[in-house]
This record gives sequence, C-alpha cells and structure tokens, in this order.
Amino acid sequence: MTDGIKRRDFLKVLGVTGAGATLTGCSEPERLLPYVVAPEEITPGVATWYTTVCDGCSAQCGMWVRTREGRAVKVEGNPNHPVSRGGLCSKGHATLQHLYNPDRFHGPMIREGDRLRQGTWDEAEQQLAAQIGAIGNVMFIGGRVGPSMSNLIDQFVTAIDGTRVQYDAVSDAPLLEAARIAYGEPGLPSYDVGNARLLLSFGNDFIETGSSPVAHNKGLAQMSSVDAAGSKGRFVYLGPRLSTTGLNADEWIPIRPGSEAAVALGMASVIAGDAGAAGPYADVLRSYSPATAAQAAGVSEDAIRELAERFGSDSPTLAMGPSAGGHHRNATAANVAVMILNDVAGNVGRTVHYDANVTAAASAYADMESAVSAMAAGQVGVAMVHGTNPAYSMPAASGFAEAFAQASFKVSFASAMDETAALADLILPDRHFLEAWGDSMPRQGVMALQQPVMQAVPHFDSKQAGDVLLAASAHLGNDLGSATFYEFMRAGHMEMHDASMGDFEVGWRQALREGAVEHEVAATATTQLQAPDVALSFDTPALDQGGDLTLLVHPSPRFGGGEFSNSPWLQELPDPVSKITWHSWLEMNGNTAEQRGIREGDIVTVTSPHGSVDVPVWIYPGIREDAVALAMGGGHTDMGRWANESGVNALGLLPSESEQPSGAMVTLATTVSVTPTGERRRIATIEGSKGDQHDRPIAPAVALADLGHAEEDEEGHGELQELQGVGGFVPVPGDGGAATAFPLEGAQHGPYAESHEIPRWAMAIDLDKCTGCSACVTACQAENNVPWVGEDQIVMGRDMNWVRIERYYEQIDATQAGDLDVRMLPMICQHCGNAPCEPVCPVFATYHTPEGVNAQIYNRCVGTRYCANNCPYKVRVFNWYRYTDENVPDPMNWQWNPDVTVRTNGIMEKCSFCMQRIREVENRAALEDGRGIRDGEIVPACEQSCPAEAIVFGNIRDENSRVSQVVSSERTYRVLDEILNTQPAVHYLKKVTFHEVATGGHE
Amino acid sequence: MSNATKDPIARGALTHPDVTRLDDVNRDVLKILSAPGKGWWALFGLATAGVGLFLTSWGWQIYRGIGASGLNEPVGWGVYITTFVFWVGIAHSGTLISAILFLFRAPWRQSIYRAAEAMTVFAVMTAGLFPLIHVGRIWHAYWLIPYPNSRFLWPNFKSPLVWDVFAITTYFTVSATFFYLGAIPDIAAARDRATGLRKKLYQLISLGWRGSDQQWHHFGKAYIFLAALATPLVLSVHSVVSWDFAVSIVPGWHTTIFAPYFVAGAIYSGVAMVITLVVPLRKIFGLEAYLTTKHFDAMAKLCLLTSMIVFYAYLSEFFMAWYSGEEIERTAFWNRLFGTYWWATWIMLTCNGFLPVMLWFKRVRYSIPALFVISIFVNIGMWFERYVIVVTSLSHEYEPFAWGIYRPSVTEMGIMVGSFAWFGFWFLLFTRLLPPIAIQELKEVLPPPMRKQKEAH
Amino acid sequence: MSTTGGLLASYEYLDSTVDAIEQLKKAGFKGMKAYSPYPDHHIEHALGYDQSPVRVWTLVGGLTGTATGFAFTTWTSMDWPLVVGGKPIVSIPAYIIIAFELTVLFGALATLIGLFILSRLPDLKPAVVYDPEFTAGRYGVYVEAEGGRLDEARKILNGQEPIELREGEGGADV
Repeated sequence: MTDGIKRRDFLKVLGVTGAGATLTGCSEPERLLPYVVAPEEITPGVATWYTTVCDGCSAQCGMWVRTREGRAVKVEGNPNHPVSRGGLCSKGHATLQHLYNPDRFHGPMIREGDRLRQGTWDEAEQQLAAQIGAIGNVMFIGGRVGPSMSNLIDQFVTAIDGTRVQYDAVSDAPLLEAARIAYGEPGLPSYDVGNARLLLSFGNDFIETGSSPVAHNKGLAQMSSVDAAGSKGRFVYLGPRLSTTGLNADEWIPIRPGSEAAVALGMASVIAGDAGAAGPYADVLRSYSPATAAQAAGVSEDAIRELAERFGSDSPTLAMGPSAGGHHRNATAANVAVMILNDVAGNVGRTVHYDANVTAAASAYADMESAVSAMAAGQVGVAMVHGTNPAYSMPAASGFAEAFAQASFKVSFASAMDETAALADLILPDRHFLEAWGDSMPRQGVMALQQPVMQAVPHFDSKQAGDVLLAASAHLGNDLGSATFYEFMRAGHMEMHDASMGDFEVGWRQALREGAVEHEVAATATTQLQAPDVALSFDTPALDQGGDLTLLVHPSPRFGGGEFSNSPWLQELPDPVSKITWHSWLEMNGNTAEQRGIREGDIVTVTSPHGSVDVPVWIYPGIREDAVALAMGGGHTDMGRWANESGVNALGLLPSESEQPSGAMVTLATTVSVTPTGERRRIATIEGSKGDQHDRPIAPAVALADLGHAEEDEEGHGELQELQGVGGFVPVPGDGGAATAFPLEGAQHGPYAESHEIPRWAMAIDLDKCTGCSACVTACQAENNVPWVGEDQIVMGRDMNWVRIERYYEQIDATQAGDLDVRMLPMICQHCGNAPCEPVCPVFATYHTPEGVNAQIYNRCVGTRYCANNCPYKVRVFNWYRYTDENVPDPMNWQWNPDVTVRTNGIMEKCSFCMQRIREVENRAALEDGRGIRDGEIVPACEQSCPAEAIVFGNIRDENSRVSQVVSSERTYRVLDEILNTQPAVHYLKKVTFHEVATGGHE
Repeated sequence: MSNATKDPIARGALTHPDVTRLDDVNRDVLKILSAPGKGWWALFGLATAGVGLFLTSWGWQIYRGIGASGLNEPVGWGVYITTFVFWVGIAHSGTLISAILFLFRAPWRQSIYRAAEAMTVFAVMTAGLFPLIHVGRIWHAYWLIPYPNSRFLWPNFKSPLVWDVFAITTYFTVSATFFYLGAIPDIAAARDRATGLRKKLYQLISLGWRGSDQQWHHFGKAYIFLAALATPLVLSVHSVVSWDFAVSIVPGWHTTIFAPYFVAGAIYSGVAMVITLVVPLRKIFGLEAYLTTKHFDAMAKLCLLTSMIVFYAYLSEFFMAWYSGEEIERTAFWNRLFGTYWWATWIMLTCNGFLPVMLWFKRVRYSIPALFVISIFVNIGMWFERYVIVVTSLSHEYEPFAWGIYRPSVTEMGIMVGSFAWFGFWFLLFTRLLPPIAIQELKEVLPPPMRKQKEAH
Repeated sequence: MSTTGGLLASYEYLDSTVDAIEQLKKAGFKGMKAYSPYPDHHIEHALGYDQSPVRVWTLVGGLTGTATGFAFTTWTSMDWPLVVGGKPIVSIPAYIIIAFELTVLFGALATLIGLFILSRLPDLKPAVVYDPEFTAGRYGVYVEAEGGRLDEARKILNGQEPIELREGEGGADV
C-alpha cells in the first residue's frame, strides 16, 4: 500500500483540527462546529461531520463533510438545506478530488522569463501590491463568488479604481434577461417542478445544469412518481437532442434547433385563444399558431396543438426555456416566449416564481468581449483572473490569449494550473472551498455559510483569495476594515442582520450547524407580464454555414464547462447518456451515419467556419438526423494530468459571439461538415448491447393504465415458460415480494438458524424515480475506495465502478413527436439469497452472511474470477493491476475511507451494501445501551447521494421498515429472478409509462 | 504346450512381422537411448527456447499483475483456461490406451502405450500449471489445498475448482505411478545393457528388478488393478473438468451433455496428439517395425469414432438452444455461430466435424503423412473448441448491457505457445532416458522361442 | 553337516525352461526361482502360483479413500459453517466427487505399496547369481540343493541344454 499520509503531516493535521480545529495561516483561530458527532475533539476512528456549502457550481447545494482524523474523506448532500434538500451530484462528490488534486500549486508562483518559480506569500503579495501601485489600470476578471467575496472584490477594485468583469463559461444570462424583460425581476425564476402535472422542457437540461440541478432532479422524481390518486405528472421534452434530462421524458418532440420560441408561442396562441391573454404580448401571439410552429419546428401540427391543449388543461403545468446547451442567437426571446406560455397557462405563482430572486451564474460573455478588446487595446495594466478560466472556456476565435498577453502584469488566483494561469506572471493559489470561509445566497432569504472542514492540505501552501486581496489592499494603504476575509464576512453578515432575525450569534451558529438559515422575505405583488423594452426576435435564429449538420454544444453532465475535467472520478464516470468515459465523442443519428457510410468509432473531422476537431463518432438514436452534438469539457491543454489531452474542446468550433440582449455566449451558432478521417478507435464505453435489452426481464415497465389490476394469472404462465426455457432451475414463487426465504432448508445452521433477531438487509430502487444522473456511481466510488483504471483499461473492458447505470432504449424516434421510453437501471450487487457466485469460490472468499449480505472477503480471494463468470448480473469487478497504488498519487489517497479496505491486485470486489456503515450504526446502537437500530439509520452512500430519493435501504424482515413498505408495491420485481431463482435482496420498482408497454416489460 | 505357444505367435504375427527374436526388441528399442541424432537436438533446442518464452511471459505476468493478460469483465477466463482444458484433454488418451485398452486386451496397444503414457504425464504436468497461471494471486494459490491453517478455513468442497484440484492431482499421481510401474522391467533391461553413469541411474530407478517369477507375478496383478482404477479415473477427470463449466449458470456452459461431450473430446484430441507425436518418433528412431500402419489405422478409427461423438454433441447443443425456445440460450448460441467469435466456431466445426470424415477412407487411414496432417488440424480444432466454449459463452451472458469482447494479449499467447514447448521439452527428454516402447510387453506378443518346433522342422 | 549351494541355468527356449522346472519339481526340489524377459504364464503355471494378495491392498486402500473423502468434507463443512448459494452446509452430492477421487488415489497408492512389499522391491544390493540376458532374451532357472543332491539338479538342468550353467552360494538372490 502507498504510504499515503506522512506521519508528521498526520500529527500536524490531527493536532490542528484536534484542538477545536484552529485554522493556521493568516486567519484568526475559529471554532468549527461538528454536525453530527457531539464531541468536538477528534476521536481516532470516529468520523467528525461538518456542514458547508458546495461551491462546485452556481447551485450552491448544502453539503455535509465527513472527516476522519482531520481529513475530509467524503462529502454528502445536506437534507436540511432549503434549496438542494439533500442529495449531491457527481460533480459535488468530485470536489474532494480537487481538494486533494496533486496538480495544485505548492505555493505562490512567480514568473521568471518563460518559467514559473515558487515563491513565498510575502514576496508574492509585495509584488502584487507593487505592480498594482506602479502600473494601475487593474481589471479584475472573476467567476461566480459568494456575496461577501463579491462585496470584497468590489471594495478592492473601487479602492484602486479598477474595473471588474464577471464571467462564467456556463451561464443563465438569457433566462435572467428574459425575467427582467418580461417581469422586471432581477433574479432567475424558481421552478416548482415537483408539483407540475405536465412539464415541458424546451431544451432545458435542468437536472444537469441551471439554477439547481439537484433540487430539480428531486422535483422531477417527485413529479413523475405515481401519487395516491394513481396519477403521475407527464414530462415532455422538446429539443433536437435528448440530454440526460431528456432521456427521462415521457414524450419527445424533436423540434428543429432554435425553434423553441415558435413552438412556445404557437402553443400559447392555442391556450390564449382570442381571449387576448398574455397582456402586452397578445399581438405577438396572434401571428403564431400551431401551424406556424409546426412549420418552424418540423413536427406535426397536431402534436403541437394537442400538447398545447393538455398544457392548458392539466394545470398546474410548467415550461422551461432553453438552457446553456441551447443558447442560440435568439435565446432570450425563446425564454421570453416560454414565460409567455407559462403565463397564459396560469403557472406563474404556482409552479414558476419570479419573486424568489434565485442567484445565478449570470455573468455575461458580452462583458468579456469588451474586456478582451480593452486588453487588446493595451488599456489594461494589471489583469487579475479569479475563479474562471477564459483561456479555455472562451472560443479560440475570441482571441483572449493574445489580448491577455497585452496586459503588462497578469495575475491568476487558480489553485491548480489551468490554461489561464499558464499565461500569468503571478499565481496566488486560492484555497479549495473545503479549506476556506465563504457564504452563499442561493436565493433571497436563504443565507448559507461555507466553513473550512479541515486544515489546508499541507502539501499546498495556498491562501484564500479574500485574504490576499485584503493583504494587498493593506500594502497599498487601503483599509477595507478587516484583516482577514473571515472577519470581513462576519462583519458583512452583522450589517445585514436585523432584530427580526433574532440574536446574531445564535443565527450564526445555527447557520454553521445546519448549513443555512432561512428567513421570510416579503412576497412581492403578483407579477405581471411587461412589454419588452428591447427588440425581441422570436424567429429561428440564423446559423453560420459550415456544412449540412447543426452543431449542438452542451455543458457536460460530468465536466460542466470544463472546470471539473481534472478529476479521474468524473473522467471515468460513464456519461449518463453515452456511457462513454474519458474521451470526447460526436453524437450522430444512426440514419445520418448510415447515409455517410460512417460506423461507430470512426474518427471524423468536424469542421465549422471557426475551427475543426477530430473526434470519434457515437451513434445515438436520441438526436435529430440534421444535428450532431459535442459536449464541453474536453481537450484541456494545460490543466492537469487527467484533463490534458483527454478529448477535444468543442468551443473551438464556435464563434466568439454573445447573444443579444442577454450577452450570453452563443453555443448553438453554426452548422458543420463531418468527414471521416479513415481512422477508427475503440470507444471507451461500458455499454455492451447498444441499449438493447433483448426483451429480457431486466428493466421492465408497466403502463399507468395497468396499475392496480396487474399481476394476474398471465404472469404465472410467463414465468413457467421462462423456467422451462432455461431448465434446471427451481420454480420461483410468483410473489416477487420480500425475499425472506433465506436461508433455505439445510442451510439453517448455527448462526444461520432462522431467527427474526437477525435483520435481513435489502434495498429497493424505484426505476420510476431514477433519472440516471449517476450521482450514486461517484458517491459509491468515494465511499468505498473504488479506484479508477484509466481510458485504456476501460477500452479493454475493465471498468471498476460498483454501480453501473444501465440505459436501455425501448422506444425512441428522432423523426417525429411521440412516446419516449428509455429505461435507467442502477445495477449493483443484488446480494442474492441463492447467489450463483458463492458456491463456485474454492476458498470461501465470497459467502452469505446471516444478515443476508453477499460478503466478499478480500484477503481470502485468490482471484480465480469464477464468481464473476457465474454472476448473471455482472456486478463483480476485478483488480487487474495495483490500481490503488499505481493510479492514486499522494495526496489523493488522503481521501481514502479508513473504514474500507484498499484492495490490492488480483482480487475481486463488488458492492458491499456499505457494510462499514452498517457496522458503524450497529456499534453505535450497541454503545447506546444496546438500543435497536432505527429504520433509516443506515444509509448507504448511493442512497444518501440520490437526488431523486429512488433508493431505500433497510431490514426487510421488519414489515414496518421503509424498504418493506416500498417493496410491497405491485411494481416490485427482481432482476432475472423469475428465470434464475437467485432471490436477490435488491428489489426494483418498475418504471411507469403512459403508453402501453411494448417490449422488455413482460413479467 | 502347443496351443499355449500358438496364440502368442498368432498375436505376434498380427502386428510385428519383422521382429522375431526376443532380444531384437532390446536391440531396436535400446538403441534409441544411445547418442541422439541431429533431428533430436534440433527439436530439443527449439523446445528449450520455447520454455524460455514460457517462463519469461509468466514471470512478467506475475511481476506486472494478471492484467498482463487480455482478460476483462465479463470474460474472466480466456486462453489460460482454454489451454488448461486442452492439455487435460490431451492427457486422456494416454491412460485410455494403457489402461482401458489393456483391460480390453486390444492387440495394438503395446508399441504405443509407453509413449502415450509419457504424453499423459507430461500433459497433466503442463495442464496443472494453468490454474496457477490464471489466478490473480498465484502466491496464495495454495489456499485451495486443504491443510490446517491460521485462518481456520478449509476449502469450499462445493466448488468445482476444488474438485479440479483433487481430480488433477489424483490423475497425475495415478498416471505417473502407472507409467513408472510399467516401465520398471524395461528400465532393468536398459540397466543390463547400459554402462557408466546411466547404469548407476537405471540401477537406482529399476529398484533392482530381476524379472524373477515372483516379481512378475505380483507385477502383473498390480498392473491389472491399477488399470482397473485408472479406467474410471480417466472418465471422471474430464467430467470434473467439464463441471467447471456445467455447474455454472452461464448460457452455453450450463448443459448436462458436458461430461460425456468433454470425455469424448478429450480422447479425440488425445489420440490425435499421440499420432502427432509418434509419427516423428517413428521416423527419427526408425521404429517402422513396431509402429506399423495397422497401429495408425486403429488410432485413426478411434479418432473417427470420437469425432462423430463430439460433432453430435455440437449439433445437439445448437438444437437444444433452439428447441428450448429460451431467448437467452438462443442468443448465446447464435452469437457462437455468427457473433464476434464466429471464426473460432467455424475453425472448430471444420477441424473436428468435417475434416475427420476423410478417415472413413482406408487409403487415408493407411497414409501416415495424411494422418499426421489431419491429427495436427484436430489438435487445432480441439483447442478452438475450448476457446469457443469458454470465451463466447462468457462474452454474451444474461445482462446485455454488460456484454463484452475479449482479445488475448501477447503475454497470454506467449504462455500458451510456451506451454507446448514445455511439454515437448519433457517428452524429448523422455525419449532419450526411458525406453519409449514397452520392451517387455512387446515380448509378450512375440512368439516365444521353442526348441521342439525347431526340431520339428 | 552339509553345504548347500545354488545352480543358475540360462535357457534360450521357453519350453526347455518349463520342462526343467517341471522335472526339478518332480524330483522334489524346493526353493526354485525362474527368470524371464516378460511375465509368462507357462512358467507361473509350472511353479504353481495362485492369486496375488495385491488385490487386498487395492481394496482396502480404495475403501479407506472413500471413507476419508466423505468424512473429511463433512467435517470441514461443519467446522466453520458458511452458507454459499443458499445450499445446505453439508452438500453430499458435491462431496461424492471428492470421495471418488480419494478412492482412486488411495487405492492406487496402496496397490503400489503392496506390490513393493510383496515382490521385495526396491532391492538394490547387487545380484549374486544373475544373468543380464534375462531382461533381453533368455530364461533362467535357479535351484537350491544340499551338496548331495547338487549333481542331480545339475543333471536335470543340463538335460534341457542350457546356454550357461553357473554355481552360486546357497540362499543367494532368493
């Protein structure tokens, strides 16, 4: 095993956090308040939990951090957070890898000639102050930051009378601008997805990007689950390509790229009728009709009319306008159009709220354009870049790099190398948010605190940007009132504090404990549509002519705009749509490929008027025939060992242009030509059967209409045939209910004797809720020390993830509006009662515990791999090399969970139901004078992180447990059980569809 | 006395027309043990080089990790298990010829069974390495052996792999015993002709055999009982190996036909391998008198029979897959014929099903070059049969999303090819150290010298 | 007080050997020993052998193996009961295979040991009277006799025209 933590570092950390977690470095001592475990001093072997805010993206989800011996080892969603309400996405989990990223700077870097040398902080701050003093003309280019930091930057910039530019690669600017135009509101609308009965997404990928993916994911699951009345909300996706969000739709209307406005208005016209609703936009509506919409969108008029009628009647409904992936030249207008649609359908105030002032990554690309021209014109003396990476995230066409070079002194606050920092003269590595103070205001009335959960990783001599700015100001003789950012922030909050909020200290501590405090905001008067104060064009935007295929560039569900690319977890996370890891791919419809004689894996050259890239083709039935799609986040040149040279940068194909009036970057701007290079490659995918489940009982579904009176004699027959088919298997009881049949006759011996004292652990996964977002995959990887293996190993078919989200297409048609049926199935070890893997192991490395768990004893395993061969679910993964040694550099191994063995080469591993968590709770219960384990007290990593709350774990012997309740559903089934009699402990609940289930659904 | 002498003569006449006097046999056979010719040295050099390749590849794999192979999920077994089963199969005909044909008193076995037995022993030696080669942690492979240990853990006797451990070790022990026992009188013969160091060696390993009536008496009986024990063993060992697959639930493995199917296949490949080995042996050492076309004819017939059994097994597998109506079974076998590995399947069918049809023709059975060529194709075909069974079945199992493709790595192929050299290395040494033809049993079928008949002339 | 001696005659022909043995027996000689290049039932017949006790070794060995097989597997399963695949902790069908293999293994080894003991192998001390041709083409008859009857034995052996007739110590090589 790698000697991860040097003993001294360990003691240092232990000492520091141990003594009530004193922060070293510049900031004052401050107590950190553990969340769950009472004692504040570290008990070796016992986890200490802290609450903070995930600073990964603009969503600012609430986060719990589990620390062991002063190291952050796991992050989880904070259910008490008013916005995210528990659950955490893969990117959130991966922030841990940015904390321990070995490519972080080891100290401030100072340029000497064409190389950077490491310097001291004094030196660096001196130089910064000196340069600012000497040159002046400071331009501060910053990404999204919390209110206090934003405030500090403003004060800093004003004090030296510089300029500040806010820029984020992926933004909601058009939505924000649309809200301002249509309702005069300064914030993003907040959506109540959960309560919509009919949800329309006009190319809005709300569970991947946008104001709160996790919350929206939760909402989607809530909306689409069957309620007491036996009905469920319907989700219709209108867009040229199905994103992860789109794959969850019940219907897909593959409209032409950029035709959202026409469709939305066409529908609104139906709903509004001649009633002249839609206020100032009534005239606009008159010129639209389903006919015009159909004409613009390239889908049938009936489909649109019929959808419009439902949208008017099934209220409350909800429609969302195009998000970052669909920012074309009329994106703001499109969002306004969707707002009109919501308005006429009477959703405002019910499912859409404009008065919540949801903060967003709303910084405008347009500002960046002017910043670039200013720099190019040599008007910028000192250029400071913080929290953003324009050298990568601006299209090459923007000429940022060249302009940036014109600035006489360039400063970067990047904590690890990136394309912009590479150009800088001075690098002042910022703290990772888990090491630093901060705050966030996800929406008005919610104040969340971000606190350091551990002493800064000692390998890296970093310093919080806020402290640097304060120090620099001090050097320049400007007093900003505080010596440290922590003081500055606290002071700021004191100012905002008023008596109505109660005692400040109490509120402060509560915020630290709970993660956020919420106080009432006076609701503004019901919002009315306002006449636009700028010209809006609702037409389908013009595209640059580069070929015959429209290029769709969308933020990656794994890498966002590219800021997450240097995480091996995310690189190895199979993309929720394509199931491809590491490299980039071009999504292309099968028919399009066939016409051009292109096969999957062919490397093609994609050429737009602005650039070209070579990328392998992946055939995807979920994209229109006239479009191809590329995800952002690939092709880094100067970021880190995992991001560099992995994939291509899609932005290279885009013009440098901002949408008017919002000023957002245009992502849907050009058509491209696709020409084969003649080369091929093996796609690094984990998918075997091209999304075809071959009519096997793996991910069945049930039609909503059949619910309640399903499960009739029919089923018995089906089963019997299956059994005869396979032959040799014991007939299965047709209940499909709780599998308490374990242990069987003859096996009830010693500790296995039938007794209800022993729990039987089981899990239920509701496929109607699962959205395939893959958060559980990364959560599991983080919790269980599952190594990553690298692209070449994936290509060889050696992926290690314990959770495999299977994606099967049942019904998908890119040529016309219609029902969509894509099944997502998280496949983990099924912990079978009759586990085929167990008897074949010669050394008892895997056996069944009395608690019904299929245990894998790593140090018994000799690696015959027979168990994996005999596992019908193929959930066993093998350590072909010393992955945990060879792939995990110091200090990334600091993240390892001390409660879980790190596996060496030559042994088998698989899901353990998070045995370490089961034992932890058992021990705690035993310590607390032997009380029983409470239902829901044991939460496996996957369940904890699932935003959709699709996973439930518990003791199935206790008929009152949540899992027993869920499993009692008529939708319950167990994968392959009816033909193999494996008696799995993992139960699935069938997906519920609106249409009659054609295939894959037979019981 | 007269009829007592007649039947040996009759039997002798059947197979060995050119050898009349008892000590002709010693002369002809023992001269093999004298200084080797160029051919032998060439082969031996080749074999030694191959053993080098074998050991370096294996060494590299142990150093780097089992990942040096091309194995993956879902295909956890590949070339290694294929080659393992192949060699176990080869090992079968040896004991078949020496034990079963001995019990059936098949007249043609004497001159080939020693070579066949040697082949058996060395083939098991080779096969036995592959389970070690293929495990992830070879340094812990001994955990499969039941012995009281600090882990208080015994092996899982429900696991076919533990059955294997017992079956293979038993088979090795018994066939080695059988081989050695039968060789003792001939070693004594060699001893009485040899000089110097060789004599010392033979003295030692012949255990002081004199050929006294008492020794012959017990020897004969012991030999029969060993044969009687070895016979069911032969049939059981490959059945057990087949259960490695049949006991699992993998579509394409989980069938009841496997035990007989594998045993037939084993004999088929084994006899083919005997032909492959004996033809050059005969040429190099000039044993035409002992290895006559009659022997080859008999072996060819055995090949023909077993090939038909094997081919029948293939057909019935495909038929059952279709007849079952079970989509999963059907897909598995459809994939076998037309999937990624179609070529392997068709090599198998051609070599094991179609090619042996030629053996119906007497002219082919009596043409030694033809038999040699056919036997080599049969060996190839039988290797691919195991490859098809192991790999194609694993690559398309129950979970379509987890289907996968496996490509053998260079290391794997190195070890596979090297194993043939390893086998050849020992076999060549054997031809130089022990009489490769059973001297004393040949004498049994020769006409014993009779004074009375001489006078009668 | 009379000396005992031994005579070893090497013959070229089987029938001469057999005749010699039969005549010696008729003449009442004991302690005869025959050599041959291969097991010949005429000689055995002449010397009047019956069943070899080797078979007992085989039988006992085999049965011991069977018993061991079942006992061992069952005991180890109970020693630390672990449920695999929901199967009974003691699964006899699976253990039959082990029992079978041990039957064969023990049977074979017992047979070998039996053979060695019964036929006095290994026996590495050099032979006193022995003709290396016995392993090639010759048959041999060795007979012991007191001094008085030595000539009678010699006469009988010579009667069958031996290739060679040698005298040896009494009791040698028996």
